[in-house]
Amino acid sequence: MAAMKYAGLLCAVMLCGCVGSDSSAGKTAGGTLVISIGGDPDVLIPSLVQSVAAGEMTDMIYDRLADIGDSLNILNDKGFTPRLADHWTWSADSLSIAFHINQNAKWHDGVPVRSNDVRFTIASTKDSTLGSPAASVITNIDSVSTPDSATAVYWFHARSPQQFYDAVYQLPIMPEHVWKSIPPASWRASEAAKNPIGSGQYRFVRWIPRTVVELEADSANYRGAPKIRRLVWTIATDFNTAVSRFLSGEADFFEQLRLENMPEVAKHPTLRARQFHSLQYQFLQFNLRDPANHAKPHPIFGNRELRRALTMATDRAAIVRSVYDSLAQPALGPTVRAYPTTDPNLPQIPFDLPRARQILDSLGWRVAGSEGMRSRNGRPLEFTLSVPSTSKVRVQTAVLIQEQLRQAGVKVDVEQIEFPALMDKERKRAFDAAIGQWNTQPSPGAVLGSWGIGGSRAASGNNYGSYENPVFDANVDSALASFDPSKRKALFTKAYETIIQDAPAIWLAEPVQTVGYHSRLQIGTLRPDAWWIHIPEWWIPADKRIPRDNAPPSATPPAQPAGQKTP
Amino acid sequence: MLRYIAQRLVQAAVIVAIVAVITFALIHIAPGDPFSPVMDNPNVSEAVRQTLRAQYGLDRPLPEQFVKYVNALAHGELGWSFSHERSVREVLGTALPNTLLLMVVALIGSFALGILVALVQVGRRGSATDHLLSGVSLLFISMPDFWLALLTLLAFAYWLPLFPVGGVYDPVSHEYMGFGARLVDRLWHLALPALTLIALASASVARYQRAALLDVLPADYIRTARLKGLTEREILRRHALRNALLPIITMIGLSFPALLTGTFFVEKIFAWQGMGYAVVNAIGTRDYPLVMGGVIIGSIMVTLGSLLADLLYALADPRLRR
Repeated sequence: MAAMKYAGLLCAVMLCGCVGSDSSAGKTAGGTLVISIGGDPDVLIPSLVQSVAAGEMTDMIYDRLADIGDSLNILNDKGFTPRLADHWTWSADSLSIAFHINQNAKWHDGVPVRSNDVRFTIASTKDSTLGSPAASVITNIDSVSTPDSATAVYWFHARSPQQFYDAVYQLPIMPEHVWKSIPPASWRASEAAKNPIGSGQYRFVRWIPRTVVELEADSANYRGAPKIRRLVWTIATDFNTAVSRFLSGEADFFEQLRLENMPEVAKHPTLRARQFHSLQYQFLQFNLRDPANHAKPHPIFGNRELRRALTMATDRAAIVRSVYDSLAQPALGPTVRAYPTTDPNLPQIPFDLPRARQILDSLGWRVAGSEGMRSRNGRPLEFTLSVPSTSKVRVQTAVLIQEQLRQAGVKVDVEQIEFPALMDKERKRAFDAAIGQWNTQPSPGAVLGSWGIGGSRAASGNNYGSYENPVFDANVDSALASFDPSKRKALFTKAYETIIQDAPAIWLAEPVQTVGYHSRLQIGTLRPDAWWIHIPEWWIPADKRIPRDNAPPSATPPAQPAGQKTP
Repeated sequence: MLRYIAQRLVQAAVIVAIVAVITFALIHIAPGDPFSPVMDNPNVSEAVRQTLRAQYGLDRPLPEQFVKYVNALAHGELGWSFSHERSVREVLGTALPNTLLLMVVALIGSFALGILVALVQVGRRGSATDHLLSGVSLLFISMPDFWLALLTLLAFAYWLPLFPVGGVYDPVSHEYMGFGARLVDRLWHLALPALTLIALASASVARYQRAALLDVLPADYIRTARLKGLTEREILRRHALRNALLPIITMIGLSFPALLTGTFFVEKIFAWQGMGYAVVNAIGTRDYPLVMGGVIIGSIMVTLGSLLADLLYALADPRLRR
């Protein structure tokens, strides 16, 4: 019952949002969309972006060659729609794709977009001195050639089902004439980074760190002018302040409502909430190597059966209900339901406390003493569970796991630490267990970096728990190489089944993202990978506009101080 | 007097240098670095983080980084903020006026309110009003600054939306306003953080001032004033208050560090883009140069505040000028 507490509200508001979207009354261009966010963008250079906030802004300022579309298909080019490229042609051997650049596309400074911009974007991203996170996901792209100013040809090392996705999804195109003269290592600190010039439907106006980012509609854009004239992100690094801005009406949109905010949203007749699938999953990760000596297995978690017993002793559904109510589902594994390759009926290790106790007994971990805690050869069954202190849901989850495992005779010490400190421990593999979360992309391929052998053994790997199973890796590799969707899904299912049964982690929750918005705002589809991608199509009816929607149309704020030194 | 000021300035410089060294060591010992992923993005590999560390010289040995930092400091450079991608001098140059505005308003407001409350309490000593005001003062003294800030935010920005939620100005419309409207906008945004700090600091001032006033009331000159037929209000205002102000002047110096610390947390809650907002966020993002710059400026402010209080004390008490 409790789980359904807000389900009715959410269904109702989803209907309201859809009804509003269909109306065309007063659908004239204008208005200001104010989005309240809890942190600054890290950088407004597409190839360097790491934070969600920066992704929202750069996706408005810059354009890709093609857009993935709402189906999030990553196989070949099905579902992709033209953007900077108005059409494309595959070579006979599929080892190259020629993109034809839309001849009307211009950078915001008036310079036409040309094929050399595409070549420059790929070449600079591959430059190791830049430090681009995207470099690792475009390794299949060998080079880009430019037979003429309107044609950019991508050359690939190997034919791959997702080579088109790799070519267009990871990187918006950047203007060569702006960046060419700046050494890549100095891009972040450059003036150009503070006044980005793109070709998207919104142009950059100002960025005052920790305060505001403002964009305005590019009325002469080759894709047409967007309906909302101004986009303003107001920044407050404290969550309560950021959400209060939305609840009090100072902002129109808030992207990450929490369970405790839902009653407040329900009270306001002008506020709406909408849920959509996210690409996040949360897990309790066991460190399978000894934190003191990485060459040895972890004294507790090195044993597969013990990990399975701990998973059996954890009632994941109850945890999700308590922590998220209806705003999450139990996670299925290292994947999300939004992937077409995910079978929602993946077999799980069931919650079975008596069986978990039996397994622990059989492994020699016996209950000793009056407190009911287990030990073996004098060593207590005890571990430290690290969580970032800034994440309320992860702290709550850790406390519930602590109590559930106590009932199985396992002592858990919950350690709340700062996020950078937790990341430091994980990178050094100096932890017992930690509650983590991955924000994935439309391709399920990133699972290899997080849970594969390469990610475990490479010093730069993100597989902090050092889980290694060649069967898992082989199935993922085969799945990624397969062009047949059903075969692909079957192989991914095998891979997920393998890792679920090996239990290198307890798969906890798959949060459903909940955004809040003002009812005057007419919004459309919220895409799991980027809810903001359709903002240029959102609108505010003329009769519902408020004073801030009507700021002087040609007013441009004072330019930011120039001549700042670089480090 | 000049020699005394010079001595105190040298002392202040030594203190600031020691604080800088300790802060440099502590912030670098803290686990994590500026390039821990800002989100749980599986694409951000350790190799990417290593490249970023190298770009900012964080891959160099700590002693080398320290020497480089001290060298820059000697040339008046506070370094480069990783999280703002601007020089620390520029970041703090923008933030410091906001903090000083908040602190000065809070300082003046809290002392004015605290002294007024103390006068009311002493004027009606032993009455229900006296007890009530003592209780309220105690409540505010006991209350953590961030907690009161959150309550104030909820009460006056959300439940009763009289004031904006946060910021130094309205980020959406401020740039498009005329001068008068901008001024009003700034004051409107100043109200809640300033009131929070005033409520917190005035409680201590009221208690100190009440005690100081009660100390001077039995003095002979008060008895003489009373015998001359002056009203109790005149006695308090003209004779008792002036003589009871000395400990309060000391408090100005003492309250500076507390006010600065309080400002840091209040700024964070109200997204007031001052030094505290910048430094607290910089600690979370391990923006070492910004933390260092903030601490150095903060320690300069505290030592100068203390010096100022000593000078004011000397001015107020002629016996100390000799």
